Order: sequence, then structure tokens, then C-alpha cells
Amino acid sequence: MSRFFLALKLLLRDGRSGELTVLVLALIIAVTSSTAISLFADRLHRTMSTQAAEFLAADLVITSSTLIPEQWIKEAEKLNLNHARTAEFSTVLMENDEILLAGIKAVSRLYPLRGYLKATSSDYTEEKILHNGPKQGETWTDKRVLSALKLKLGDHLIVGEKPLKISQIITYEPDKRGDLYSLSPRVMINDADLKATQVLMPGSHVHYFFQFSGSSEAIAQYRKGIKPLLHVSQRLMDIHEDRPELGTALSRAERYLGLSSIIVILIAGVAIAMSTRRYSERHFNATAILRCLGCKQNEILWLYFCQFLVLGVIASTLGTIFGWFAQETLFHLLKDLLPAKVANPSLIAIFMGFFTGLAILFGFALPPLLRLKKVSPLRVLRRELEPLPTSAWLVYSLALSLISILIWRYTLDLKMTTTIIGGGLIITFIFGLILYVCLVQCRKFLPFLSLSWRFGLQGLVRNPKASVSQILAFSITLLAMILSYTVRTDLLDDWQNQLPDNAPNHFVLNVFPEKVNSFKQQLKQQNIINVDLHPVVRGRLVKINDVAVQQIVSKDSQGERATHRDLSLTWAEELPKDNKTISGQWDSQQKGGVSIEEKLAKSLKIKMGDKLTFTLGSQQLDATVSHIRKVQWDTMKPNFYMIFSPETLAGYATTYITSFYLAEENKNFLNTLVKNFPSITILEVDAVLKQFKTILTQLTEAINYLLYFALFAGFTVLFAAVYSTLDNRIYEGTLMRTLGASRALLRKAHLLEFSLLGLISGFVAVLMSETIIYTLYTYVLHLDYHINWMLWMGIPLISTFCIAVTGYWGVRRVVRQSPMQVLREC
Amino acid sequence: MSQTHINIIETENLGKTVPTSDGSLDILSSVELTIKSGESLAIVGASGSGKSTLLSLLAGLDTPTQGFIMLKGQNLTSMDEDGRAELRNQCVGFVFQSFQLLPGLTALENVMLPLELRADKNAKKLASALLDRVGLSHRLTHTPMKLSGGEQQRVALARAFVTEPAILFADEPTGNLDSKTGEHIIELLFELNQEKQTTLILVTHDNALASRCQRTIKLEAGRMI
Repeated sequence: MSRFFLALKLLLRDGRSGELTVLVLALIIAVTSSTAISLFADRLHRTMSTQAAEFLAADLVITSSTLIPEQWIKEAEKLNLNHARTAEFSTVLMENDEILLAGIKAVSRLYPLRGYLKATSSDYTEEKILHNGPKQGETWTDKRVLSALKLKLGDHLIVGEKPLKISQIITYEPDKRGDLYSLSPRVMINDADLKATQVLMPGSHVHYFFQFSGSSEAIAQYRKGIKPLLHVSQRLMDIHEDRPELGTALSRAERYLGLSSIIVILIAGVAIAMSTRRYSERHFNATAILRCLGCKQNEILWLYFCQFLVLGVIASTLGTIFGWFAQETLFHLLKDLLPAKVANPSLIAIFMGFFTGLAILFGFALPPLLRLKKVSPLRVLRRELEPLPTSAWLVYSLALSLISILIWRYTLDLKMTTTIIGGGLIITFIFGLILYVCLVQCRKFLPFLSLSWRFGLQGLVRNPKASVSQILAFSITLLAMILSYTVRTDLLDDWQNQLPDNAPNHFVLNVFPEKVNSFKQQLKQQNIINVDLHPVVRGRLVKINDVAVQQIVSKDSQGERATHRDLSLTWAEELPKDNKTISGQWDSQQKGGVSIEEKLAKSLKIKMGDKLTFTLGSQQLDATVSHIRKVQWDTMKPNFYMIFSPETLAGYATTYITSFYLAEENKNFLNTLVKNFPSITILEVDAVLKQFKTILTQLTEAINYLLYFALFAGFTVLFAAVYSTLDNRIYEGTLMRTLGASRALLRKAHLLEFSLLGLISGFVAVLMSETIIYTLYTYVLHLDYHINWMLWMGIPLISTFCIAVTGYWGVRRVVRQSPMQVLREC
Repeated sequence: MSQTHINIIETENLGKTVPTSDGSLDILSSVELTIKSGESLAIVGASGSGKSTLLSLLAGLDTPTQGFIMLKGQNLTSMDEDGRAELRNQCVGFVFQSFQLLPGLTALENVMLPLELRADKNAKKLASALLDRVGLSHRLTHTPMKLSGGEQQRVALARAFVTEPAILFADEPTGNLDSKTGEHIIELLFELNQEKQTTLILVTHDNALASRCQRTIKLEAGRMI
């Protein structure tokens, strides 16, 4: 215990003498950043997940073609989960001599569990937000149902055998999907009226959605318990699977949050490693004296360990508090964009920030500290005796293991972790080696240079190993900042490209072939031009190479779902522009050729040249796989699993499908369309799309703030890191002055040395970042890679400027103070 | 004192050889030495004669390549570094040419340090008293940077004597000081040595200083002559 108090005393004395300033600053920045990002990411993730859950109207949904066992509901109740049920089916409605195929949705009392419904009471009143569906005896319908059946609000609509009063026009339902029941005009009724309609008989085609909401732990537990019990016709729905466009955006945003955490940790790690190294070197003499006064090796280690532990706890506590305020400020700045109710900060995230601080401190500080243990007491007589450096294996494996664990913890993505660590290691090693060789070779040119150049360059080439580690440390800090900036910019561009302002927000199905031209004409009158209409033939894949598909697919796979229903088959002369060829070459002239989507092919184990058999109505069709392609699902355009060569599908019953953009104020045009083309079905996705865009805007803003945070941390650490390398330079510069070197010479030499250091670090950082970005984009984030020439120009310049100015500022003592004063302080 | 005639340090065939690019180099060889408790001994010789090496071996700061050293009846050569550190803490004090004070600590804290390493609760009181004894009671809170060379060496003396060590090793204690200040320091060193009945082993190339010790040994090319 007495040793612990002694350690405390020494720590206080060190703190008072300013020895710890850089180290404490680096640590506080590290903890502040990691706590802020950890808390921010956690709260944002949970807020966004809740918001995303609104797209399912619940946290968890079981779809089933039959009722689920009562026991399953009881299990949910035991876990305090709320539950609701919707039943969706199609039925023909007849009113005023008009007929309409409508999508009925019977909803239970608590529907929707997440999100809300929107409806109006007349044409002219504003939309209201409603948190429950229609009351018993009432129905809410799409406006098109009223126009098609010549009804008005307050009239009665007979669904099956049950007359229901139309009380609202429904304008938005959160969980509207793109399937058959949702495509038809909506009629929403209360679940209690379902039986009275007598529409559902045994064997009726109906889809039940059993919805659950509650705490994430309870949901996870329920999901785990239910999953093994599911029948082949039942399925758990998930935001990533069932709303891929939103799922992809969320995944990418989450990955970016993870990446930002890693970047800040990496930056902080570099700063701590550099400042502890400086701390350690400045303590060689003090340690030698302590050893001389009788301190044992382990006592030395214990003294420093205790000091760092106390330092870590204090800095981590301060960092956690600052981090807390930083993320509160972030949320405050974003308050207009984020949902009114933001998820509360979780204790786990707070502790994660705190322990991350301690872990970074010891992961990066332990190797230099271990070196202190080896200081010889003989150093009191012979100052030149330096302790052996801790083995490289220990230094690097400690820091590396720590970084790997932290990266994995923040991303929960093994592939991303491996890419960053593996790629980073290889790149660091290669560039380190190249730099070392270059610096050693530079020595040859020194005698031919002017004095200031020679002195400036000597600082770098005298100890190439130390210079390489300095350059790499600066480069890694810069690299982290570049990564943060570039990935963010490309991510946002990608979203912007994916969903431009005029992205299609309406789908139209069932356009008959003979109406295609007049339909296009009608769109043209509304200034909707360049619209592609894609032919659709409904068909089901039944055999692969004459083997029934059911024997090939595995349960719950994408392949299984695709073979359980009719697919929309199409033909095309040219493939859609955003589709990418994976193998084969598209030949529209090859009769019997089919192009298949990559993931479905993988799930069904389909290869090039395989024979596929489809049933189209009562007929069978054979086709050969001649092309495999990747589809960009997250565009608001019709996409197809199977594209045939035009002649292959000739003669089969065909309808056409398209999508287009229609501004909200022109919505009445839809009624004109329905009137002129009664067969068509319109799917309005504008409300969903609007909400999706709002989420993207929120994520974008959040990501921007994270970037500013990472850049701030990066610059601060860069300055701290430059400062931690100055001791030797100040000492040598002062000696030069005592030997008669002029101030101008020293100024020039220092400026040259730091500029060179900045320039080389900048170039290395760009080289490293381009390599990592290429790997990340190609294999992890699936974004398009392109060389960013602005980086090549800008980063070396910025780096040169920052390092030169900071370094020059740091060593200005050499030329401003008397050499005697500086030497005494050294 | 009853310990006056006890041999506090004994060496036998003591030597130190270091490898160099031209083969091995004998820095010290065949040193046979016996030092009695309370005795003052000066080790003199030219630069490079092996004085500081001998001091570092006798104090347990370094290990010999030949022979052995007995310090207070314990074989230093058979101890590991931690064993030697413990022995240093218990019975050895040092004064160095370059003072070797911790720059971040005040004069008082520097003197308290060896006591604190022993977990002595009276550290502050004892350190203050000794600093008062060396005439620095008005400089307790000053860091080494704010002290003159002479003052720094007086702090170092206080630190060396504060634990009342059985043996004090002094390596060129006046080497960094002007002659007048050096004289003051030497006066103080011998006074304290007398008061505390410490065995003094002094390395110097100053014959006048060496003559103040009870015995002098001379080294030349690593050998006692």
C-alpha cells in the first residue's frame, strides 16, 4: 500500500512539473472521443432502429399463412411484449354497379405497435396522425376505392357480408409492402369485424402478420425461442431482409459509426504510444536514481503501473464526462432532424468509453513502460546507457491485439476487422521498409548539401528507425482522418445518387400490352417522360437441371422464398444499366437464354449453362442460364430475378410494369390514370420514400458531426505527437547555437526538417489510405472505388504545413532563449 | 562504535572485462581491497584508470566479470539485481559529480525520496532537518533548476545522508563545482561523515581532496598500485 501512495506522490510531483500534460491530453481526447462516439452511435442506432422498426410497424414480425399457436402469444406476454395482428387478403368489392379488387387488411386493437397511420376525414382537411386502426364497424379506405366504387366518406362499404361505415381516407400505413395484397387499393377494417365478413374460409389465401414490440432484450429472447418452432410457411421478418433499401442504408451508417470509433481509437493510440515513449525516455534518469536508491525492478514497474492506473482512471473519468457532454451537444445540434424521442444513453456505452480509455492506455503505454523496468542503476554514472527496447513482438502484438479486439467490438464484423488489421499491417510493414531504405540511402547525399539542408536532413537520417516510426505515426493519424473524410463523402454521394430528388415514387402494374403506347402518352401529358415499361410474365421456377427445386433449396433461404411464389419474369433486348455482369455475356438473340440474379443463383446453386424449368400458367418453359448479374436492389425501379431473351417468352400472357416520379401536388393524376386504365394497379411509395429520405438526412448530419469530431481529435493529436518528438531536437539545436550556429541557420534547418517530415508523412498517408479505401470499398462497403487526385495534392500540403508550423513553434525556444537556460532545462 | 573495526567491504581478485571490436578489454583487474567500517577511503587515478568502474562494482551498481565483493558480510556477486537493490536501499548512499537530482521534484521531495522508498513515516521531518543542516532550509520548495550547482550538491548530500547509510559512495563530488564551492561541499561531506559515522568511499583525481581521507588507493590502467 505504501508503494501505491508513493506512486501517487510521484505522480502528483510529475503532474506538477508538467511531465504528464501531453499524455493526459492524449488520453482525455481518446476517452472523450470514444465515449462520445460510443454513446452517440449507440443512441443513434437504437433511435434509428426504433424508427426503422416503424417500417415493419413492430420490432419483430412473424408472417404466416395460418394462425400461430396460442402458446406463442402467451410466451410473448410472459416477456412483457406487446402484440398485434394483421390479416391481409384480396377480395372483390361491388358497390354502385362497380367492381374492384381490393387488398383488405384487418388490424387488431394495438396496431401499429411502432409508427403511426395517417388519414384524412375529407378531401380538404389535413392528414391526421393516428395510432390505432379503424373502430369496430368502421373502415378506412384508399381514396381510389371511393372513386372507383362511387362512394364517399360516411357511406357504407360491404366487405363480404359485413357493411362497414367509411370513416377515414387512409393515406399512409407504415408497414405497406410491395406484394399483391398491398398493391391493390387498401381497405382497412377492424380485426373484430373479420369473422362477420365471412370472406375467410378454410383454405382461403390469407397472410397473417403477428407483430411484437418491447425491450430489445425481450425481443431477442423471443426471437431465439420462436425461430426453431417456425413451420416452413412461417417466417420472421427483419428490417434488413424485408426492406433492403433501408436495411442497406442503416448497415452502411452503422459501419461508418463503427469506422469512426476505430479511427478515433487509432488516432488516440498513436498519441498515447508517442507520448508514453517520450514520458518513458524522460524518466530513464529518474528511474536510474530510484534503482540506485534501492528500488527493485518489479517495484519500478509497479510504481509506474500504479501511476498510469491512477492517471488512466482520472483521465478516463474526465474523458467520460466530456464525452457525455460532447454527445449531448451533438444530439442538441441535431435535435431538429432527429425524432423527438431519442433513445436514452445506455450504461454499457458509458462504461465502454471508460474501459476503452484504460485499454488504449495500457495497450499502447505498456511497452514503453516495460522499458523503464530495464533501466540500469549504472546510468547514474554513465548517462549513455539506455535500456534495451522492449521486444518488437511484444510491442506490436499488444497494441495489435487491443486494436483488433476494439475494432471487432465496434464493428461486430470479422471481415471488416480482418481487412483493416491485415491490410494495415501489410501496408505499414511495406511502407516502413521502403522508408527505412530511402532514409539510409539519403545519407550518401548529405556531404553535397548546404549546411542548413544537411542539418535539416540529418535530423531524419541519423536514426532512420526512429524517423520511420515518427513518419508512420504521423501517417497513421493522417490516414485515419483521410479515411473518415473519404468514406463519409462517398457514402453520402452514394446515397444521394441512389435516391435523387426525383427518384421514382410510384409503381404501376398490370398495364396491358395494347395499352402501353396510350399509357406512355398519358404520362407524357403529365410531363413524365423517358419511362421504361417492362414486360412481366408470371411464372414459377420448378426444376433445376430436371431436379425439383424443393430438393435443392435450404430452409429459410432466399432461394426457398423465391421458389414458393410466382416470380415476375421479364425479357429485354438490353439489360438495365445498373445491373452488373458477374459471368457470361448477355445475348438477346439467343432463344432460351436467361440471365439470373447473382444471389438467387448462389442460393439455388445455379451455375452457367444450367437448365431451368418454369411453369407459366399451365405451360412449361425450359431455359438455359447464359448470364449471371448483380442487381442494384436499392433503386426505386422495377428489378427482376430472371431476364429472358425476348423470343423465349413470346406468346405468353404479358402485362407491363413501370415506375415514375410524381410530385405530391399532382396526386390527382393517379385518378385520371385509374379511370383511363382500369386494369392497372398503382403502388404509392412516396410517403415511405419521404420517411426513408428523412432518415438518410438524419444519418448524414450525424455522420458529418462524427467526421468533425474525428478531424478535431486528429489535429489535436497530430500537434501533441509533434510536440512529443521535440526534446532531442531542442537539445541538439541549442548545442549548435553554443557552437556558433546562427539563428537563421537553425530556423531554416528546423523548418526544412519538419517540412520534409510532413511532406513524407502526407504522401505515405495518401498511399496507405488509397490502398485501404480500395480494399474497404471493394470487399466490405461495396462502393465504387476511384482514385481521388485531390487527396494526392491536398494531404501532403496540409500535412507539411501542419507539422512544419507545429514543429517550428515547438522548437522556437532554441532560437529565442539563451542556450544556457535551455541546456539547464534539458 | 562497536562496528569500527569490522570489515565492511572486502574484494578478492576483482576484475571487469568488456568485449570490444578488437577483442576483450580489461577495465579493472585483480583488485584486492578491504575497507573497515567508519573508514574513509579515496580512490584516485587518471581518467580511464577504472575509478568509477571500481566504485560502481563496490556499490553493486554493476557486476564484476572476475572475483567477488563482500558488502556488510554479504556476497554482492552472488546476488541478483533486486537483491543488490535491497542492499543499496538498506545501507548505501550516493553523491554524484552530476548531482543526479530528480528535476521535477523540489529539494525537500528529492531528499524525502529514499525515505519514502523505505516507507518511513517521518520522511518529511527527517528530510527537512537534514536540509536545514546543509543550510538549505530556505530552499525546500525549489526545484533543482532553480538551485545553483553548489546548492544542488548540498541537496544531494542531504539525500545521501538522510537514510544514515553505513557506506557513502561519492563520485567526483566536486567535479562540477568551482573550487570555493567545492571546498564548502567537501567540508560538509566530511562533517556529516563524522557525525553519522559513515564509511566513505570517495572517487577523485584531486590529490588534496584524497589526502583528507584516512587511506588512499591509486589505480592505473585498471590495477591497484
